[in-house]
Amino acid sequence: MQTKAFNRARTATILLLVSLFLSLGQTLPLQAQADATSTALPETTQCGHVSLQAMIDAAAPGDTLVIPAGTYHAPLLIDKPLTLEGQAWPVIQGDGSGDVILIEAPDVTVRGFVVRGTGISLDREDAGIRSTGANTVLENNRVEDALFGIYLQQAADSVVRGNTIRGMDLPISRRGDGLKVFYSPRTLIEANVMRDTRDAILWYSSYSIVRDNDFANGRYGLHMMQSDHHLIEHNIFRDNSVGIYVMYGNVFEMRQNLLDSNRGPSGYGIGLKEASDVLLEGNRIVNNRAGVYSDASPLQPETTVTYRNNLFAYNEIGLELLANTQRNRFQDNIMLDNGEQVNVAGGGDLMRNEWAVDGRGNYWSDYAGFDANGDAIGDLPYTSKSLFDSLLGARPELRLFQLSPASDALDLAAKAFPLFAPQARMSDPAPLTQPPALPPAPGMEAPPVAANLGVALAMILLACGVLAAGLRLDRRLPRILPRNSAAATATLSD
Amino acid sequence: MIEFVDLTKRYGKFTAVDHLTLHVPAQGAVALWGVNGAGKTTVIKCLLGLLRFEGQITVDGCDVRRQGRAARQRIGYVPQELAFYKEMTTFDMAEFYARLKGAPRTHIAPVLEQVGLAEHQAKAVGALSGGMKQRLALGLALLADPPVLVMDEPTSNLDTAARSQLLQLLTQVKQAGKTIVFTSHRIEEVETLADDVAVMEQGRLQFVCPSSALAQRIGLRTQVKFVVPGDQLDHALAILRDDGLAVRRNGVGVIVDVAHGEKARPIHVLGRADIEVIDFEME
Amino acid sequence: MKIVWPIAQKELRDALHNRWFLLYTIAFIGLSLALSYMSLAGAGIAGFAGFGRTAASLINLVLLIIPLMALTVGAQSLAQEQEQGTLAYLLAQPVTRIEVFAGKYLGLALSLLASLGLGFGIAGVVLALASGAGSPLAYVSLVWQTFLLSLTMLSVGFLVSALTKRSGVAIGIGLFLWLTFVFLGDLGLMGTAITMRLPVEQLLWLSLLNPLQVFKMASILDINATLDLLGPAGIYAMQEYGEQLRGVFLALTAFWIVVPALAAYVRFHLRGDL
Repeated sequence: MQTKAFNRARTATILLLVSLFLSLGQTLPLQAQADATSTALPETTQCGHVSLQAMIDAAAPGDTLVIPAGTYHAPLLIDKPLTLEGQAWPVIQGDGSGDVILIEAPDVTVRGFVVRGTGISLDREDAGIRSTGANTVLENNRVEDALFGIYLQQAADSVVRGNTIRGMDLPISRRGDGLKVFYSPRTLIEANVMRDTRDAILWYSSYSIVRDNDFANGRYGLHMMQSDHHLIEHNIFRDNSVGIYVMYGNVFEMRQNLLDSNRGPSGYGIGLKEASDVLLEGNRIVNNRAGVYSDASPLQPETTVTYRNNLFAYNEIGLELLANTQRNRFQDNIMLDNGEQVNVAGGGDLMRNEWAVDGRGNYWSDYAGFDANGDAIGDLPYTSKSLFDSLLGARPELRLFQLSPASDALDLAAKAFPLFAPQARMSDPAPLTQPPALPPAPGMEAPPVAANLGVALAMILLACGVLAAGLRLDRRLPRILPRNSAAATATLSD
Repeated sequence: MIEFVDLTKRYGKFTAVDHLTLHVPAQGAVALWGVNGAGKTTVIKCLLGLLRFEGQITVDGCDVRRQGRAARQRIGYVPQELAFYKEMTTFDMAEFYARLKGAPRTHIAPVLEQVGLAEHQAKAVGALSGGMKQRLALGLALLADPPVLVMDEPTSNLDTAARSQLLQLLTQVKQAGKTIVFTSHRIEEVETLADDVAVMEQGRLQFVCPSSALAQRIGLRTQVKFVVPGDQLDHALAILRDDGLAVRRNGVGVIVDVAHGEKARPIHVLGRADIEVIDFEME
Repeated sequence: MKIVWPIAQKELRDALHNRWFLLYTIAFIGLSLALSYMSLAGAGIAGFAGFGRTAASLINLVLLIIPLMALTVGAQSLAQEQEQGTLAYLLAQPVTRIEVFAGKYLGLALSLLASLGLGFGIAGVVLALASGAGSPLAYVSLVWQTFLLSLTMLSVGFLVSALTKRSGVAIGIGLFLWLTFVFLGDLGLMGTAITMRLPVEQLLWLSLLNPLQVFKMASILDINATLDLLGPAGIYAMQEYGEQLRGVFLALTAFWIVVPALAAYVRFHLRGDL
C-alpha cells in the first residue's frame, strides 16, 4: 500500500513538474508527457503531499496548470492570471484557519477542485475561495466544510458556475454565506448547488444574473442589497428561511423560479423591501409561510411591481403586503388554497393596486362568484372580506386561532350578518374562472405514492381488524353450521 | 350461607332498610315479603353490592363490600325484568355473561336446554316473549352453577302460564340444592318456593316465619266473588252473613271476604243451603 | 383482562349499532374524502399537491367532528346503560367496577380508532393514488394526534356520563361542552385578547387550556416542524420552548385523557345509586 501511495504521489509530482517545465506561455496536453521522467527534478514532495503553491509561484501568467488527484496544502495564493484545472477532484485542504484559496489577480480560472477546511471567523469572513480579481471563473468545484463558500470581493464580470457549496455544521448564527458577491457587478451565477449555509448574497453587484441554481437549507436563498438590474430565473429555493429577498434596488426580473417551503419565523418565498420596477413571472411559490412579502415596493415613483402568471399555492399566506403597497399589478396569477390568500400586514387595504390588467384578473381557488356569459371571467369581483383575516391584519397574534372552527364561525357570522363584514381589503374586478396555464419550473418531485398507499391501506386494515375483534369473527365462523341441533352447539364449545 | 348483620341503608333522611339482621342457611330458601317500598329490593341491591350500605353482608363468608367479586361469584341473579342489549342474540347474550362469570362455554348449551331456549338461541333477545326473557334471565344466573340464587320479584311481570312455567323451573332449581333469596308479594310464589319468609315493613324486619304460616300471620284475606241464581241472591247473602262472613252484593253475585286457607268455606255454606254456585272468581 | 376484554368487545359491537356513532363515522369519511378530492383538484392545477394544505383542512375537519363524536359516545357510555338498567345487571355479575369502566373505555377507544382508521385510510388511498399525499410519516402522526384528541374528548364524555343519570341529559351536556371546546372557548379568548391586549405568552397558555388547541398545535408541529403558521404566538412558543413543545403538548394531552377519566372512574366507583 505504501509503495502504491508513494508511486501515485510521485507520478503527481512528475506531472506537475512537467507542466511547469513546459510552461512557456502555452499549454501542452499533459497526458502525452506523463511518462517523461527526469532524475534532475527538484525535491517537492513532503510526507506524500505536494506544494501546489510552489507550482503556482513558478508558473507564468496565463498558464494552465492541470492538477491530478491528491491532497494539497492550503492556503493557496493565486496572484497572477492562471487556469487551475483539477483532474479527478484534487483536494485543497485548509488547516481550519483563514481562507483556503485566495485569488488576487484578474482572469483566474479555478475548475474541478474540492476545497475544504476554512477557519470559522465571521470577522475575517474565512472563505473557501475568495477572489478580488475581475473576470474570475470558478467552475465545477466542490466547496465543503467552509464558513464562507465563494466570496467575490470586488471581482467584477466573474462567473460562478456548476459549483457545489456545503456549509459547516454550525448553528445558523455562526454560519457564513455560501456565496457572497460584494461590489462585483455583472457576475454570472449559474447552475450551482448550495446547502446548509447562511445566505447567497449580492451586494452592490448590479447587472448580475442568477440562473438554474438550487439553493436550500439556508437563511436567505438569495439576498440582494443595494443592487440593481438583476435577472433571476429557473432557480430552486427550497427549505430556506426566505427564498429570495430584495432590499433597496431597482429593476428585477424573476422568472420561472421554484420557491418551495421557505418557512422561517418571518419566512417568505420572495420578499421585496423598497424594490422598484420588479417583474415576477411564471414562478411557482408553494408551501411557504408567506408566498410574497412586500413592503414599500415599488419605492420609486412611476415604477411598478408586476405579478404575472405565477402560482401561489399552499402558502400559509399567499400575498402578505403592507398597506403601503401600491402600483402593483396582478394578472393571470393562480392563488390556490393558500391559508389566507391576501393579508394586509398591519391592517389597512390594498385598493391602490391593479388586481386585473387589461380586463384579466387572477384565478382564486376560493372565488364564489359565477360566470354567466361564459367568457371565463367571473361576473362578480373577487374580494377579500374575511372577518377573521382582517382581524389578523390588525392583530397578528390571533393567528394562533388559524384552522380553529371558531375562526370559520366568525367568517360565517360576518357573511350572515353583513353588518359585521369588514371592508374589502382588495378587489379583483375580473377574476378568472379557469386557472391559466403555467410555464414549466424546475424541481417538482413526486411524493412517495407506494408508501402513502401502504400507510392508508394499513389504517383501513387496522380499523377492520379492530371491528373484527369486536364482532369476534374468529369465534363466529363455526356458526355457519346448523344451529338448532345438539351437534351444532357442540361445535361452539371450546 | 348468607348473613345480613345490622344492614342499614339510608337515602338522606329516609331510611330504606333499618338494621336488618337475617340468616339464610345453606340450601335454604328465604322470601322477603312486603308491600312496595318496604325495602325488599334495597336489600337485594345491597346484597349484590350495587348500593353503599352500613352493616355487613357476607355470602359464604365473603364480605360483599370488601370481596365483592367473590361474593357475586357465588350468586346468580334474576332481576324483576332483565334489561337486554336488544341487538344481541340469545346465544351471544349467554356467551357474553358466561365469559364475565368465567363459566365454560360448554355450559351454555345445557343451560339453554334446561330453561327451554335451545330452539331460540339464534333469536335476537328483543324478539323473545316475556316468559322466555325471564327464563333466559334464570339461565344466565345458572350459567356458572352458583350456590346462591337471588331473585327480585321473578314472576311479577309474567302472565299465568309463563309464571307457572317459571315456578316449575325454580322448584327444580331449589330441589337441586341452591340457596335461594327472593323478594315477592305473591303468596303462591312464596308458598311454592320459600322455606321461610322474612316480613318487612317500612325498612324493618317484622318477623320471620315458615312460609306455610305466612298467610295466617299476616291475616291475609281474599275477596271471592260467587255467582248464584238471581232469585236466590238475597237468600245467599243472608246465609253467608249468618255464618259470620263479611259479604256484600255485586251485580249478579256476592263478594265474600275470606281468610287465606278458607276460600272454599262459602261454597260449603251455600251448598248446605241448596243454593247453586254457578261460578266464582278470586279478585 | 378476562373481564375487561369481553366488555370492550361488546362495546365495539354496540358502536356498530349506535346510530350517532355510525352517523359521525360516515360524515367523517365523507368529508375527509371530499377534502381529498378538493385538494386533488388543486393538485391538477399546480402539478402536484401540497400536503400541508390538505393536512390543514383535515385538522380543521377533525377539530369539528372528532370531539363531537367522542363526546357523544363518551356521554352515552354509562348514562345510557344506567337508563336501560343494563348497568345494574352487569355490575351484579362477578365483576368489579374498574373492570367495567376499563372495558367500556377500551371498547369505545377502539371503536374511535376504527372510525379514524377508516376515515383517514380511505381519504389516504385517494390522496396517495393521486399523488396528493406528503410524507407517510406526517399522515400517520396526524392520525395519531387525532386519536389522542379523541381520547381526551372520550374521557371528558365519560366524566359527563358518570355525573348524570339520564342519557339525554348527558348528551345535552356533551353537546354544550363540544360547543364550548370548539367555538365558545376560542371566541371568548379571541375577544379577551382583543379587549385586554393579552401578551402572546398569556394568549398561548390560555389557549393551551383547550385540548383542541393542543391537538392543533401538536399536529402542526408534527407536520411542519414549526408553529410559525400560528403567527407571533406560535413563533414565541418555538423560540421559548423549542423541542420541549412536543413534551408540553404530550403532557397536556395526557392530562386531558387521564384526569377526566380518573374523575369519572372515582365518581362511578363511589356511586351508590345504581
